Amino acid sequence: MRILRFVARRLLQLIPVLLGVVVLTFLLVRVLPGDPIRTILGPNATAADEAAARARFGLDRPLWRQFTDYLGGLVTGDFGTSIQSGQSVGSEMALRIGPTMELVVLAVAIAVVIATVVGLWSARHANRAGDHGIRVLALIGNSMPEFWLGLVLILVGYAGLGWFPAPSGRVDPDTDLTPITGADALDALLTGNMPALTSALWHLALPVLTLVIVIVAPLLRSVRASALEVLRSEPYAAAEAHGLPGRVLRRGYLVRAALVRLPSLAALVFGFAIGSTVLIEYVYSWQGFGQWALRGLLYRDYPVVQASVLVIALCYVVVFLIADVVHAMLDPRVRI
Amino acid sequence: MSLLRTGRSRKDRDGRFGTVLVAAGAGILAVVALAVLLGPLFTSWGPNQIDGDAPTLAEPGGAHLFGTDVNGMDVWSRLLYAGRVDLGIAIAAVAIAVVLGSILGVVAGYFGGWLDDVLMRLTDIFQAFPTFILALAVAALLGSGPLNLTVAIALVNAPAYARLVRAEVRTIRDLTYVDAARTSGASTIGLLWRHVLPNSLTPVRVIAPLNCGWAMLTLAGLSFLGLGIPVPDAEWGAMISLGTGDVVAGRWWTSVPPGIALLVCVLGFSLLGEGLQERADRVRR
Amino acid sequence: MSLLSIDNLSVVIGGRVAALSNVSFTVDAGEVVGLVGESGGGKSMVGRAIVGMLPTGTVATGRVGFDGVDVLTMSAERLAHHRGHGAAMCFQNPRGALSPTRTAGRQLVDRLRTHQDMDGERARESALELFEAVGIRSARRRLGAYPHELSGGMAQRVMISLATGCAPRLLIADEPTTGLDVTLTAEILRQFRHAADTDGRGVLLISHDINAIAAVCDRIVVLYAGTVAETGPARQVLTAPAHPYTRALLRSVPDLDGRPVVVTPGAMPLLREAPAACPFAPRCAHAEDDCRADRPQLTEQGRQWTAACFHPLHDAVEAGQATDVTVGAPARRAATTADAEPVLVVDDAHVVYKSRFGRGGHHALRGVSLTVAKGERIGVVGESGCGKSTLARLIVGLAKPTGGRVTAARSSLVFQDPIGSLSPRRSVEDAIGEPLRALGISAAERAARAAAVLDRMELDRSILARRPHELSGGQAQRVGIARALVAEPDLIVFDEPTSALDVTVQAQILAVIDEVAADRSHGSVFISHDLATVRGFADRVVVLYLGRIVEEGPVEEVFARPRHPYTRALLSRGVALVRDLEEADAATGCALAARCPFVTDRCRGEDQQLQQYGESRAACWRVPEIGELL
Repeated sequence: MRILRFVARRLLQLIPVLLGVVVLTFLLVRVLPGDPIRTILGPNATAADEAAARARFGLDRPLWRQFTDYLGGLVTGDFGTSIQSGQSVGSEMALRIGPTMELVVLAVAIAVVIATVVGLWSARHANRAGDHGIRVLALIGNSMPEFWLGLVLILVGYAGLGWFPAPSGRVDPDTDLTPITGADALDALLTGNMPALTSALWHLALPVLTLVIVIVAPLLRSVRASALEVLRSEPYAAAEAHGLPGRVLRRGYLVRAALVRLPSLAALVFGFAIGSTVLIEYVYSWQGFGQWALRGLLYRDYPVVQASVLVIALCYVVVFLIADVVHAMLDPRVRI
Repeated sequence: MSLLRTGRSRKDRDGRFGTVLVAAGAGILAVVALAVLLGPLFTSWGPNQIDGDAPTLAEPGGAHLFGTDVNGMDVWSRLLYAGRVDLGIAIAAVAIAVVLGSILGVVAGYFGGWLDDVLMRLTDIFQAFPTFILALAVAALLGSGPLNLTVAIALVNAPAYARLVRAEVRTIRDLTYVDAARTSGASTIGLLWRHVLPNSLTPVRVIAPLNCGWAMLTLAGLSFLGLGIPVPDAEWGAMISLGTGDVVAGRWWTSVPPGIALLVCVLGFSLLGEGLQERADRVRR
Repeated sequence: MSLLSIDNLSVVIGGRVAALSNVSFTVDAGEVVGLVGESGGGKSMVGRAIVGMLPTGTVATGRVGFDGVDVLTMSAERLAHHRGHGAAMCFQNPRGALSPTRTAGRQLVDRLRTHQDMDGERARESALELFEAVGIRSARRRLGAYPHELSGGMAQRVMISLATGCAPRLLIADEPTTGLDVTLTAEILRQFRHAADTDGRGVLLISHDINAIAAVCDRIVVLYAGTVAETGPARQVLTAPAHPYTRALLRSVPDLDGRPVVVTPGAMPLLREAPAACPFAPRCAHAEDDCRADRPQLTEQGRQWTAACFHPLHDAVEAGQATDVTVGAPARRAATTADAEPVLVVDDAHVVYKSRFGRGGHHALRGVSLTVAKGERIGVVGESGCGKSTLARLIVGLAKPTGGRVTAARSSLVFQDPIGSLSPRRSVEDAIGEPLRALGISAAERAARAAAVLDRMELDRSILARRPHELSGGQAQRVGIARALVAEPDLIVFDEPTSALDVTVQAQILAVIDEVAADRSHGSVFISHDLATVRGFADRVVVLYLGRIVEEGPVEEVFARPRHPYTRALLSRGVALVRDLEEADAATGCALAARCPFVTDRCRGEDQQLQQYGESRAACWRVPEIGELL
């Protein structure tokens, strides 16, 4: 009950932040250099063509009118029309979010599990060769440019060994997958399309691996540091001095206390991963949200930029909200 | 004294590994810095010089240590020259971010009130985006070029320092020694400059090297997408981008070497940061 | 055979520090033994050795016999069984030693299931009984509480229940009374006596404060620099100890009867190897050449009484020695200068700390009035949370009154935490010069005056260039006092200046403060949780309770004839308070009503104002009747 109230309060607090984001992006894209209309007009376009195009997208109206129109659209769930494609931004985006979320959620989940297991092990064997090795490996992974790592994995996994599919597309088109959410593996599961599932997972393998390698280090470091802190803390030593057996010590006195700081970091890493997907999608021709948003940005496609910024911000704050709730469930000292 | 204090020897061992990490990181960075500064001594080719005698995409060996790229330029010499750009922009951007962020953080943290509220809400908005996306947006809007990139990367990193320093300052301003300075009649500026600021920068000293690494990755990422250093100037991310098509064909030498250069350099910063962190933890315990 | 029999135990840490050298003593079942000494004396190392948790990198020789088996050579399985079931420890700072993410009840159930082979249901019932046995009220509710929801006293009780829940043969308590209020200490100590008397456990109480635990101990072991200085029956050791160090320990702290404090110079050495001579000799007033040449062995002084001293003393501790330097002797008191000009006037001051989210707030001071004249010395006493630190901050301007008025002349403050009060990246010279810098005095003169005031603190000028972390607690506090003095203020406030220091160092600092306060050119306010400390220092005493002054009067009057029930309780004059301080509510009526044994409905309904009773004033309408009620 308290948690529900907390979530409701936080969602309310979110409105001004999101409103700020909307106003800021609306103004910034228009104030800063670049013109979306020029990019869609051919080289021979006349001034009249240009005026007509501006009128079509409502760009000839006063700024405040454009803003109220945009805001009115947002309230009814209308993100506007893309200047580049002429399609509805909302429906274009719906196709793009699924694949990206699939990548990010899967990678963060895998990375969190690896970080927990390996981090706890590393802390319990602190300052021995194994621990040092794990830490240096994680650091190396964290120091790699993700787009380059993607290329190297393609070089090895596809061009060299031929184990993985070519870096184009997310699923074999021959499997006749019916899209529902846009996340292909999930869609395949929902429709019970087994060949499509295998194909989708196979396509996912390299991009997810790339992302996991890049993001696991900070999570691992955090779990290891927290666990080490717990192992050296008074409460743990007290439990040890009272002769509690190893299993009780680990389950009751180590794991939960060591994981309290993980959720907020995982949220931060989630955001970082969204940033990374822009590059990873590019390398693997993933046709996801990142590529779409990037193209919008490069062509100054106002509605696309505005919508993608808003969606990223929303996604980010929701993830942090989830992290805070999980944190509160793990740590009784936190009041929400 | 508590019975539960950890033994001294364990701490010492931690410290040793921390020192090893710091030494390794500093060593790597020193080698890289030397290589890029003295770069021209190791190569006879200019970064943008096209070798008319050699074919484009020539295999490594012979006159070209790492072969040539799609334009027929020497990969090895471009690699060396690109390092100057990458290191220079990353370090300059982080320095600007640290100074800007620290000033904002100290002011917000010490004085609190509406100033703090405004600054923190602003950083909230910043923090609602992944830094790479922000840098991407700022770079796309400002346009490419070294100066704009430095500003873009500094701008997206400054809020993190502001928050970090602010959090430290909020703890420090309630500590006994600050009270002691206050009762001694120290002026606010003197208090901030002599007692609060030097102690609030402790975490910054650890984060800044790590941040230099991230800044390099951001810069390379932007260039990879074509938003960074404009061609034909050499930059590691742009070099990787140029080699993307070669990878599927199995030609590794145009994109793998710049990636490794980037990796080694960032790793140097990471090791340095991790080692400093380890040593800071040891002092705190 | 004794339950615990430590024999010739030596512990060396990392080959560089001799933490313990040839320590021997025993603890029998049903016996309470006190292990006392200052920090660095090796108490903790003994405790760790008994539960087999010596830090890695230490080398231990000798024998820690437990039931005839040597703990030092136990196998891992045997040791796992020994920990908890053989010897169980109550840890210092219990709130920090309880796992924050597990409920108190489950932590106890873990112990019961491990050591008493209970199943879940039975363990939960037992846990409830154990909680009730250690005096936890509404025990069922507390079983589900997390440690951060417990008060300090409650956490200490939970810790005791955890240790006894292991059903140990030997119960070890590390500083069981530190951080607890005076009124709670006695009750907690009774728990340990009870464990020895009813359950027949051996009990080892580890403490830096010999006076605090002496009352419940059968025997006392005194450690100095990793060696046993003296062991003997508690009564013997307390009244006529043979070893000069034991005397130093006993007489470094003032007691309620106003016995003068004796200063022992120097500090405990950090030994690198087992001492070849008496380790106390450099600080000892009775040391002779043989003390510096040979190390004395423990020799029989009486029944069950041994001391490691070539020249043991045999008179009662009360008799002063010719060589003693004493502090606070009443004869040195000058007449109170009540009619001198006031340097501080606090008039009906209130301080409310607003909580972060606007609702409510903590009412730290509720209408305090106080006047200090030039040259006057005021003692302020109260338990933690009574508002005494807030009063200190109010006087020097660190806190602003939310109501009332404060008029203070130029003042300075000496802090409780000596090292923490010095800026970590600034040198000693810089720290002392800070008040002068604010006055715009030149760097050269600052240096000269800093050096001069350092001489007065009897510190070597070589420490001027040092940083705070390079100082000992005693040195740092002298620097703190030097900083307070250097600008020649009209009023100096000492906020618990000795409570973070070791016992013999406390005496040294008290001597310095006594000298500083004797200088009548400024007024002094000395704040302490300990009435006894204040006694030797002040002309006038103020007793604070939950933000109000409950009693005020000339020092001898308050000690001889305490009026308020609270003052009587602090002085242990036949009044025992009920409940812990943290559960008291001071919203309406008399502040003490919730804990006072003499409470009536009138007390609960009516705010109490200070009234004149003889020479002192007290805020209690029942003062005239209390004498008859006792």
